[in-house]
Amino acid sequence: MEPGDSTKQARAAAQLRKGVLEYCVLALMRDRPRYGVELLQALEESGALATSQGTVYPLLSRLRRDDLVTTTWQESASGPPRRYYALTDSGRAALDEFTRVWPGFRDAVDTFLATPHPSTGDLA
Amino acid sequence: MKTSQDPVRDYLSAVEREASALPADRRQELLADLSEHIEVTRAERPDAVIGEILAELGDPRTIAATALAESGSTAAPGPAWGGSGAPVRRGKVHPLVPLLMLALAQLFGIAFPDDGGPLVGGLVRITGAVLLCTSVHWTASRKVIGFLLTFGLPSVAMTVWNLSEGGPEGGGPALAANLAVLVLASATAAWLWRVRRV
Repeated sequence: MEPGDSTKQARAAAQLRKGVLEYCVLALMRDRPRYGVELLQALEESGALATSQGTVYPLLSRLRRDDLVTTTWQESASGPPRRYYALTDSGRAALDEFTRVWPGFRDAVDTFLATPHPSTGDLA
Repeated sequence: MKTSQDPVRDYLSAVEREASALPADRRQELLADLSEHIEVTRAERPDAVIGEILAELGDPRTIAATALAESGSTAAPGPAWGGSGAPVRRGKVHPLVPLLMLALAQLFGIAFPDDGGPLVGGLVRITGAVLLCTSVHWTASRKVIGFLLTFGLPSVAMTVWNLSEGGPEGGGPALAANLAVLVLASATAAWLWRVRRV
């Protein structure tokens, strides 16, 4: 998010974020329902996944339309009622699936990025 | 940028303007989400300047662009969002319903070959195929395979039989053909059940 970031760096982060953001949002609801501002704070604190906050609401809206999350209103001790987001069974299944494939994915990328790359050893 | 008494209203109208390509119900939903966010944030951080809260929310154009992109990525245009926080239940027919209809449609024709059984079976099969294709439980490619094996192939086979002289006219050969379709449809339904999304 620093203005000093080169465009390419920002683009790589944005591409990665686009792919994983929805699963991280689902993961935040794994243990208990969360309301929107709470989800955004958690993303903000993560650093790498921090994004223009307003763009998360269209994502939440799609998760709801796709029946991966449900929402319920709950009164709050302070301020207006909050809309809480909770995983549906299919949301949990999607999260489980992502959790299953992610380590292999991560390791594969790490292997490609590692130096020296195994397959370039002969050329060196 | 023109400033007025109410920066929140200015901000929301900017989002509304930028999101004019969104369907009205989606746009209203987005605006409701954003104004709820602003209200909750104001309640939780009473000291925060409103400009800061809006800056964190981000550029209205970026938000609108994201909403448009998310809107386009939904496969089926579901019914309008009902508001009020009720979950949308779209395409939530139990996966067994289309599978049983597709698997067992042939039984009607076998049981009542002369009393409209084939017609009822055909209607059941068509309904099952429609439910299969609109279900959320299978990917598009699996729907196509399922549709072809339980609906397309039997339909073509029966049409060919009915049109040609050499088709099974009743009794043993017809029963065998019906049973073959029944077995094929049941096996396909069993496969679809195994590969369904839950």
